[in-house]
Amino acid sequence: MRLRGSASLRVTLLVASGIILLSLGAMALQYRVTARSLDARQAEILSADLEAFAAFYEQRRIVALRQAIAFRAQSHDVQALYLLQDRHGSVLAGNLTTWPPGVTPTDAGFSPEGAQHFRLSGVDYIGVARALPGGFPFLVARARTATQATLADLRRLIGWVTLGLIAASLLAGGWVARAVLGRIGRINALADRVAAGDLTARLPGPRSADEFGTLEAHVHNMLDRIEALNRATSRLSDTIAHELRTPLNRIQQKLSRIKGQEQAVSDIQAEMRATIRIFDALLDISSAEAAKGQRPGLVPVNLSVLAGEVFELYAPLAEDRGLSCTAQIAPDLMVLGERSLLAQMVSNLLDNAIKFCRPGDAIHLSLCQDAGGHVLRVADTGPGLPEDLRASLFERFTRAPRDQAVAGHGLGLALVQAIATRHGAKLSLPGTDKGFAIKITCPKLDQTE
Amino acid sequence: MTHAIAPCILIVEDDPDTAEAMAQAACDVGADPVVRCSYAGGLAAAAGAEFAVIMFDRMLPGGDGVDAIAKLRAAGSTALVMVVSALGRAANKIEGLEKGADDYLAKPFDPDELRARLRALLRRKAMVALDNDVMVFGDLEIRLKARTVHIGQAHVALSPKEFELITYFARNAGETVTRMQLLEHVWNLHFDPQTNVVDVHVGRLRRKLEAVAGRAVIHTARGQGYVFDPQREGAA
Repeated sequence: MRLRGSASLRVTLLVASGIILLSLGAMALQYRVTARSLDARQAEILSADLEAFAAFYEQRRIVALRQAIAFRAQSHDVQALYLLQDRHGSVLAGNLTTWPPGVTPTDAGFSPEGAQHFRLSGVDYIGVARALPGGFPFLVARARTATQATLADLRRLIGWVTLGLIAASLLAGGWVARAVLGRIGRINALADRVAAGDLTARLPGPRSADEFGTLEAHVHNMLDRIEALNRATSRLSDTIAHELRTPLNRIQQKLSRIKGQEQAVSDIQAEMRATIRIFDALLDISSAEAAKGQRPGLVPVNLSVLAGEVFELYAPLAEDRGLSCTAQIAPDLMVLGERSLLAQMVSNLLDNAIKFCRPGDAIHLSLCQDAGGHVLRVADTGPGLPEDLRASLFERFTRAPRDQAVAGHGLGLALVQAIATRHGAKLSLPGTDKGFAIKITCPKLDQTE
Repeated sequence: MTHAIAPCILIVEDDPDTAEAMAQAACDVGADPVVRCSYAGGLAAAAGAEFAVIMFDRMLPGGDGVDAIAKLRAAGSTALVMVVSALGRAANKIEGLEKGADDYLAKPFDPDELRARLRALLRRKAMVALDNDVMVFGDLEIRLKARTVHIGQAHVALSPKEFELITYFARNAGETVTRMQLLEHVWNLHFDPQTNVVDVHVGRLRRKLEAVAGRAVIHTARGQGYVFDPQREGAA
């Protein structure tokens, strides 16, 4: 199973990342609310301190304030800073020996407004600094350590939750993709087997009641139909063969009993043979077309040897007709094919060349390898192709009016084309100075297969 | 024929006219025909007696003769099987031969063709094993391993294909060999080429042999074939 590039994996991950983003947003909001409420609580504590000091100051001014601060400073509350100085900067009371740098006392009074953030020996504080009437600098501050620790805990928690979500969504994505892939993969594997020519291939086991089951059922119905049509087609051609050849056979047997008219009998037999050749060619063409692109029935064939053999079969005939016949065949070019059909293809091409050439003409067969495949080329210096025939050359029963005297039915090249298509080969008519040339490019057989 | 007891040939064919022609051909080659007209009947007959050759049709009521071959072999029959069928395209023939048929003849067939093929099969049946290196016909000698042909002391230079051709002829010496048989056995081609290419090859071989021997070695048979008979007197 291939997880990379899987559509279901992509969709699952997209949905999961959406959910993760939404959760992150919610957690960020929660974090801000928490931070704000912690700050508010600290501000409340600070303003409670200030209110208490304000009450002492109301009663007996600096003296009472000094006593209150001294009392507070004794309690070992490390979270709080207190400092009261006189106008010369010497400490009157508090748990600090010097005024913290960067903090400037603002107006008089004990209002909690205008709190300042500052840092002292590694700890963050929020505090209120005042210059009390008569030039007494006064500072109340509280450490933010607890708030900061709580927020840091919260951040760590959010981090872990995010990691967990990502891991969970990856797992879920992988699992969903695997589950969907498995079921789609079954159908894809079936399609591959059918494409490779096995029309009887079906998925085993019961079908589930969901949309996958429905899809499998649809695919099966389509395959049943294709298979039935295919079987009907081949049965039809078998029936045609049977229904035509059986009566022809009776005629043949009766002919052989006729005595004394040898010439007439052999003419009729030749006609019968030609008739059979026509419908064999028609059936061969349609079965080659039906089997187009299907792998079964194709085996590795040494096209070089085959072309050599067919060439050897025809060369003496060409020579006897006064044609010069040459071949140039690269050794051991392999294709995946049906030997008999390929032999028929080469044979038809040579047969045609010999049929249309006049004494003195030349026929050349070549087989070589190029980037696109194995190139089989048959060229002659004969009368060539009438221009108006070029378009319909490979259609069945195409014959040039000038060739009526030459035997044939216009099925040779149609069969060549059908055989080439059956083997995935490409046909082309390269231009020549004189005569006719045809080029067939067959796909190479991968030797490592 | 020199058989003490005539060999039996089983004919499984549902068309009466064709069956009759096949029975006639069997008689012509000196065999006793037994005719059955259905698949099951054919199989039953084949199981019940020893036959030299079985001719099986394909589109029979009840089954296909090609499928019967495996059943015949499983039942222990050593008969040579010739499929005679209306399914006569090259693809059908190759299918039949690949599935174990010893010969495959398409309908409509020429009775001469059928006779020639029956004789070849009967001869094959009678020949136990031919692993002789030398085949001798009077003064004509064919050495199979060395791939040479001599007439008297004279060597006849033959191309590889011509050597295969004369070997096939020699194995069927004295009998008619048809063009179709030559095409199938010498060239391994199962389609009917438009032109009689085989004639040209036989003609060349024949001229080479005649030039050395000073007489006809391969004769043209009436109908559609050739007879290899180096010891026959008289012109072709």
